[in-house]
Amino acid sequence: MKGDFVLNKAHLSYWLRQLRKESDLIAPLRSVDGDIILSSVTGIHEIELDCPANIPSPKEFIFPQKEEMFKFSGKGVDALNNSRKRVIFGVRSCDMSAVALMDRFYGGLFEDGFYVSRRKNTIFISIACNNPDPTCFCIGLGTGPYLKSGFDIQLTDLGDRYLVQVGSKEGHAPVKRFRHLFQSPGKSDYDDQYEANLSSQSKFEKRITLENVRQKILAGKVDDSFWESVALRCFECGGCVYECPLCTCFNVIDWKETPDKGVRMRLWDTCMFKGFTKMAGNVLPAEKKIMRTKRWYFHKLLYYPEQFGKFGCVGCGRCTITCPGRIDMATIANKLD
Amino acid sequence: MTKTKNSKNHKEIYLPMQVRVLDVIDLTSDTKLYRLEKPKGFFYNPGQFLMASVWGAGEVPISVTSTSELHDDIELCVRKVGAVTSAIHELKPGDYIGIRGPLGNGFPPEEAYGKDILFVAGGIGIAPLRSLINFVMNQKKKFGKTALVYGSRNPAEVLFVPEIIKWKAEGMDAIVTVDVKNEECEYCTGIVTEHLTRQKISFKTGHSYICGPHVMIKSVMRDLSLMGMPPDNIITTMEAHMKCGVGKCGHCYADGKYICTNGPVFSYNEIKKYNFNNNP
Repeated sequence: MKGDFVLNKAHLSYWLRQLRKESDLIAPLRSVDGDIILSSVTGIHEIELDCPANIPSPKEFIFPQKEEMFKFSGKGVDALNNSRKRVIFGVRSCDMSAVALMDRFYGGLFEDGFYVSRRKNTIFISIACNNPDPTCFCIGLGTGPYLKSGFDIQLTDLGDRYLVQVGSKEGHAPVKRFRHLFQSPGKSDYDDQYEANLSSQSKFEKRITLENVRQKILAGKVDDSFWESVALRCFECGGCVYECPLCTCFNVIDWKETPDKGVRMRLWDTCMFKGFTKMAGNVLPAEKKIMRTKRWYFHKLLYYPEQFGKFGCVGCGRCTITCPGRIDMATIANKLD
Repeated sequence: MTKTKNSKNHKEIYLPMQVRVLDVIDLTSDTKLYRLEKPKGFFYNPGQFLMASVWGAGEVPISVTSTSELHDDIELCVRKVGAVTSAIHELKPGDYIGIRGPLGNGFPPEEAYGKDILFVAGGIGIAPLRSLINFVMNQKKKFGKTALVYGSRNPAEVLFVPEIIKWKAEGMDAIVTVDVKNEECEYCTGIVTEHLTRQKISFKTGHSYICGPHVMIKSVMRDLSLMGMPPDNIITTMEAHMKCGVGKCGHCYADGKYICTNGPVFSYNEIKKYNFNNNP
């Protein structure tokens, strides 16, 4: 079920307020220390509509930093499942593209029940980017600034109104139930969207094609001295991994409350740490830093295209902001391109 | 004893199945053989592994050392090396252990029908190979000559001695080599690669199955390839840090492959570029 609608901006807060009655509403809010982050909305008027594109990704809502998987006790085991209904408002096109790829990663032959149950109960309302940040490069990857598909509901800011596009079955209900708020779009709405799209495209400062980089690596034109220079600048902070909307690695630990009662949980893990691959007998297959930095890049630039036909990068530019050593995806791609 | 909430039509890939420990056999000072109850309909191929799980300690990948067709139970050979294996070592007959699996691809023995087979094992690497060796010895007529080179640190750490004697009696040419020899033992000394050429099999057409420490795997694969064995016929099974076993947690990813789902069994052709732990 697809369809396009127009929503007068004056109706947005009413619509969101209604949606919040039926599910948790998550949106960009300013935290006490001044950062804008996605969090549970209490006052609709507090939503930061004009926030930059690079606020933390919605990854943690479908793949939490810490997720309890099983509760165990002497008597047995309970699988914990999160089936809270949620609407996440204000995510960007790049993040939506990342979610679409994560759906494929966590699905497939071995379906990750924890991820799927959270995902099934989450509806994303994404906002197309009229003002990309200087660090954004989604345009070169086809993951933004506007999406043609792969979203639930996409809004495009047209000044006094939004063009609302429904892109999935799940995305239809929130619009259908409040149909009286929405009008049918006319030619001028599409014209305005087209204009907004064009002007957004011209605002991108970074023009990066990862395909060239991939071809160079595959052709063996990038030797280890390059990766050595990259590794030299790596602080092993793991920031790139935690900020990346597509980094999916996790560690599993058992936490004991009492000797026979506790929780098995998973936590975000990062391949930048030496112990990530540590095996029995203290064998460290990725002891040298170069192996770890190279692994991160190869996983995103070679493995993902081979497996899913898409890069493991959506061009959100978060690693560019986070990396203290300036060895983020955009910088590396620029050097190799 | 396990219950799942909210298990409507999705199979839980991370939930271990609880099975009873039937028997625990001490093999060496730090290695025990666990015989586990085999659930109904549980079938595995030689070379596949399980995630063995103890609630409160964690999970580790362990190769199945028994053979589905020949054993009524599941056998795991566990060396005490870390927190989880220590917890497993505490288990006694009658206790429960969690298992998830069988996982991974397993060995392709049917590719070696009519051909000579060389097994090369180092240390506890004999455990995953034992599953395949018993599979092959059970239908020996389908294969050519069989040979084994098995290296161990010292005579006390040689595993499955009675079975090696049995395999020998069934026609296998087995060489056991140790690093340090004590006086009256019949084992050879030296590393496994020194004994490969002593085996009288056809290297040009034969197949080899290798398991052991990374360094050993690497040099054996290279040597066999130099001796004329086609790289597709040189097969190994790899070890890696794993948390999920189903291609999600990312720990075992190396050189474009997830060892858990793309492996753990690989041919020399597939991992020639893989640099084990020397280089990136």
